[in-house]
Amino acid sequence: MTAEPTTPKEVWALIERADELIKYASNRDQQTAFAQARSTLERAIAAAKAVTGAGALEQQARTRLEDLARLEQGAGA
Amino acid sequence: MKLRRERDDVGGRVPPNQRLTRGWPVLHASPIPKFNPAVWTFRVWGEVESEYEVSWEEFRALPPLTVASDFHCVTGWSKLDNSWEGISFRDVASRAKPKPSARHVLIHAEYGYTANLPIDAVMDDDVLFAWSHDGEPLEPQHGGPLRLVVPKLYAWKSAKWVRGVRFMEDDERGYWEVRGYHNRADPWREERYSWQE
Repeated sequence: MTAEPTTPKEVWALIERADELIKYASNRDQQTAFAQARSTLERAIAAAKAVTGAGALEQQARTRLEDLARLEQGAGA
Repeated sequence: MKLRRERDDVGGRVPPNQRLTRGWPVLHASPIPKFNPAVWTFRVWGEVESEYEVSWEEFRALPPLTVASDFHCVTGWSKLDNSWEGISFRDVASRAKPKPSARHVLIHAEYGYTANLPIDAVMDDDVLFAWSHDGEPLEPQHGGPLRLVVPKLYAWKSAKWVRGVRFMEDDERGYWEVRGYHNRADPWREERYSWQE
């Protein structure tokens, strides 16, 4: 099990990881990639709540979750 | 994507933790829009005395200029010695007569993409709306028919497929700025991410 983020930089790394999963979703099973991205963003949101100074990151992760939902809708996932 | 590491002897033109590229990587968040010059418009509005909207033909009739500048992407590549042709931002702005209260702009592009900038950053001589790169029409994957070019900031501020500018009294974060990227985006200060703010 990966350690939970303890700094804003580590929370951001989770958001970037989700972005990569979405970006390259078309190269693999898209629904699996989207599900992994969603789970990663949810983990980023939970971590941002616990990390001092990461409030903006929580909102950024939420915005990206909304993007992902639109993407899933468009992909018929 | 062809990246090439070179000696850091390019006159201090490569910001920290950037690497030179001879190619031109393509990165964007949306599909490439189709361009129809018959319906394309460019709008300037907000904190200005004279809002206006022009067609592609009218936009292309504005006095052009050519600017040589470097280009730095937040993902880590820098492309030097680009020759851009287009219309200076200052010229586009002056036709609308921004009010003294206009201190920020929000660039609007296809698919609702936006990028925010302080007005001081876009009024410099090297900022333009470009339709040509290195003497060729700007290719769609690089923002053609028209993109903003703000050489002094990371390239996401140089929005592709631009369709207008809104002048604003207060700052309003753009598309990437609400998704975790830095509000100012100065590559020399490595202002990459909003958590650094």
